[in-house]
Amino acid sequence: MKERETLWEACLNKGVSRRSFLKSCVALTSLMGLSTDFVSRVVEAAETKPLPVVLWLSGQECTGCSESFVRTGAPLPSDVLLNSISLEYSHLLSAGSGDDLETHLEKMMKEHRGKYILAVEGAVATGDNGIYCMSGGRPFMKILREAAAGAAAVIAYGSCAAYGGIQAAKPNPTGSAGISRYISARAVVNVPGCPPVPEVMTGVVMHLAMFGVLPPLDSDNRPKQFFGNRIHDTCYRRPFFDAGMFADRYDDAGAKAGWCLYRLGCRGPVTYSSCGNMRWYQGMSYPIQSGAACIGCTSAKFWDEAPFSERLPKYGPMGDIDMIGTGLAAASVAGVAVHGALSLLQKKKRDEAEAAEAHRIMNGQGGNK
Amino acid sequence: MQHVVVDPVTRIEGHLRVELMIDETSGRVADALSSGTAWRGLELIMHGRDPRDAWAYIQRICGVCTTAHALASLRAVEDALSIKIPKNANYIRNIMGASLTVQDHTIHFYHLHGLDWVSPVAALSADPVASARIAASLAETYRVPNPTLEEVYSSAPKDFPAATPDYFRTVQRKLKTIVDSGQLGIFSAQWWEHPDYNLLPPEVHLVAVCHYLEMLDRQRELVTPHVIFGGKNPHPHYVMGGMPCSISLRDGNSPINAARLAEVKKAIDLGRRLAARYYLPDALAMASAYVKAGYLDGGGLAGERVLGFGSFPEEPFLNTKEGGFFNNLLVRTNGVVENFGRGAQIADVHRISAEDLTDGSAFGESVGHAWFRYQGAEELHPWKGQTEPDYTGPKDGTDTDWRALDEQGKYSWVKTPRWKGRLCEVGPLARYIIVYTKARQQILPDMTWAEKLMVDQVDYVSSLLGRRAEEWMPTMVGRMVARAMDAQLNSEIARYFFDRLIANVRTGDTQVANMERWDPSAWPKQARGVGLYEAPRGALSHWVTIDGGKIDNYQCIVPTTWNACPRDDKAGRGAYEAAMMQTRVKNPRQPLEILKVIRSFDPCMACATHLYDLQGEELRIVTTDPYSGSRVEEANGDGCK
Repeated sequence: MKERETLWEACLNKGVSRRSFLKSCVALTSLMGLSTDFVSRVVEAAETKPLPVVLWLSGQECTGCSESFVRTGAPLPSDVLLNSISLEYSHLLSAGSGDDLETHLEKMMKEHRGKYILAVEGAVATGDNGIYCMSGGRPFMKILREAAAGAAAVIAYGSCAAYGGIQAAKPNPTGSAGISRYISARAVVNVPGCPPVPEVMTGVVMHLAMFGVLPPLDSDNRPKQFFGNRIHDTCYRRPFFDAGMFADRYDDAGAKAGWCLYRLGCRGPVTYSSCGNMRWYQGMSYPIQSGAACIGCTSAKFWDEAPFSERLPKYGPMGDIDMIGTGLAAASVAGVAVHGALSLLQKKKRDEAEAAEAHRIMNGQGGNK
Repeated sequence: MQHVVVDPVTRIEGHLRVELMIDETSGRVADALSSGTAWRGLELIMHGRDPRDAWAYIQRICGVCTTAHALASLRAVEDALSIKIPKNANYIRNIMGASLTVQDHTIHFYHLHGLDWVSPVAALSADPVASARIAASLAETYRVPNPTLEEVYSSAPKDFPAATPDYFRTVQRKLKTIVDSGQLGIFSAQWWEHPDYNLLPPEVHLVAVCHYLEMLDRQRELVTPHVIFGGKNPHPHYVMGGMPCSISLRDGNSPINAARLAEVKKAIDLGRRLAARYYLPDALAMASAYVKAGYLDGGGLAGERVLGFGSFPEEPFLNTKEGGFFNNLLVRTNGVVENFGRGAQIADVHRISAEDLTDGSAFGESVGHAWFRYQGAEELHPWKGQTEPDYTGPKDGTDTDWRALDEQGKYSWVKTPRWKGRLCEVGPLARYIIVYTKARQQILPDMTWAEKLMVDQVDYVSSLLGRRAEEWMPTMVGRMVARAMDAQLNSEIARYFFDRLIANVRTGDTQVANMERWDPSAWPKQARGVGLYEAPRGALSHWVTIDGGKIDNYQCIVPTTWNACPRDDKAGRGAYEAAMMQTRVKNPRQPLEILKVIRSFDPCMACATHLYDLQGEELRIVTTDPYSGSRVEEANGDGCK
């Protein structure tokens, strides 16, 4: 095996000009939510860090996360796969199959021990010794543990890998769970969503690939740059919420006018996700923009916090917000004040809890508790 | 005799293992076993949920054919609660369904199946000048009939890079760097030295690998309609009773306005060009080479028995249970065709009638070779299914370290569905066989434009390959070509329903959701419904019973369950196993032919293995009745138009 290429070497070898290379670095900097001050660090990282080996395992899943990954608009999928990472194992994309591919997996784990990134899609089935999810004749649970032990970092892609997902919803017949409690890994990054926004998925890989360190994480090991806000904080319909203008039924006058969907059960106020700011397909839409109430798919137990048409106070920590929305100006103003105070309180609490953790992570010590 | 295991089978959805007994001297497959090796239990999780949420849960069966399960589920729940969706919602759902099929087939052909046919290693020895010539001629050589061909071909070439020698040279250089580095990434661990890769000239390999990379970046745009109408993809949003995406041409912040519709149109038209100019020509170039080399194997059940439910209701309907769905179809793939391999004129056509949906005598599932246990019965209708998993482990090895599964006993998490005690293949090939046979036997009165296109496509390919339909269709190659034709068909169907949507909105009708029965107080205490849908991989049905406002029982009979099922001691082998049995293997250590034939079905194992029957006793389920040419009038009368 030759020495792995850096992103810059890869660009050189593939005939990409220095100018295009720098332009990509600028685009990546903005993609990762960093200020332009960081461009020089991105360039430096791209010049000196080798293309990282990524191994992608599939557990109890629907492959929707792999599909979302290849829906990325920037970077484009072919650039990710040929120029940014070396995806050496994937049930969706790997050319090889069977024993030969399993042997390749073992070889990669051995050769790049402590250096590879392990991406995991799907929950781990823990019931009955893991026999509900077998691959290569062995329980996924076992393969996962072996692969996680030698990984530089583990990315739990999607709500299934992060929290167990739909198969872990009641009554959870297969004993499915999020992966982090079942592995011993240096670092786990949770990227919840059903599936996550494509550019969030590739953004996390790009961060690891470019900087060689984990992105800053919150107390739940989610990258802050993508999970730092509730959808409610960035929702383009937020002004209608604040003004007390709501849709009361799907397809009523309020729905046609694009007013707030809170009364239809929207989970935006308690859901940490990039749906509101980055949106899907590079800003094209997200469920709320298309008129559908958010179901909170980045939240840990969202499948059991149903019916989705039930309004939030029943579940979320923000019961008081139901006070507003009477449509009366006075009530709205009061509601906004209460709501604003709550939001600030929550943010302060979160920030304090995460400060120490974030500091540690930024110093490259990993984010796994 | 050599025992060969391939596990995991990659470039599919989910977890699949195949085992074979191969005679090394003849290359014959003496036995073949297909096993779904994971199980999630989603239908059990449906119990007690709000029927209005059913689509969201059950859509998570599969993120590859995302939306197929949501649409079938909505149809089942709306049937149970007698909800007729508005016209606009019907058109929008049809656009979303058709867009899914175009995208799903495209990603299957180029990214899942493609590397069984073409090799980046073989592409290295191509002459880029010759590749450019071939690429330029492909779309002209393989001009499959298309009702709006001129519009597709006269579009300015804005979608893809010009097929110049320089372009091919550049990509070839990239490939060379990757191959030389020894770190092949996604191209790792494949049997690139397999002789089948020699069937195509290196120049075609280079063209196809270039298209692999281009389509990897462009496939996302094909499902733009999901993002506009449903907010995201995979797993867009819906609402029981219609669509959530209100339309208004008068409000400033409406989900759907003229600009949003323009986005949808742009994506649909990309799909039409992509299917007509890239996908179909590439597929036919490969098919021609393989058929010329005599590859007409891997048919399995296709020539014996195929099943379909019909697709694309022209207008909103009610009462699937009473035939409302069959009244109304743009593509009448509903029915079972037996013995197509003997000839389209003499194949047996059976109809699936409305009564079959409530009768309960023709469909059942057996678990003789599946890891489930039935008390006191050999076969159970899905609605009477029992819920006991019965994992028995392998024949050789331990429960958690398999060497060989037990073909005499239980060996899969997939059950075995049967139609009148018999096994069927489903999928795009099944759809084409059904429509083509009905058309040839003149039992498809007043053919729709879509059905005519299907027949034209088949006739065109037959003449291109120099083979009768019954020769080339029920084969591995036929399955691949049928999917390509289906992509073109669906791209045109998406445009057709888009035009219908615009015409209807123009009349002033902007309604997208029928909320009359949104509140559970409007529901009967007990209700049951069925949703039929032709998913990208074939006939899909969802069955629901509702009791006291909650889901009591939820069942799915899924395309990959039909195709990937384990054998049945009475009915024989399922489609995967039968197709593998009819495939010759040149080198048992590198059974590329087996993987190619398995992937020709586009496996979706999460779909197949989520099955988990509840103790529901009340749901009536599909049965079928035979119909024949002599009963056309009756077929007409009750809606098989």
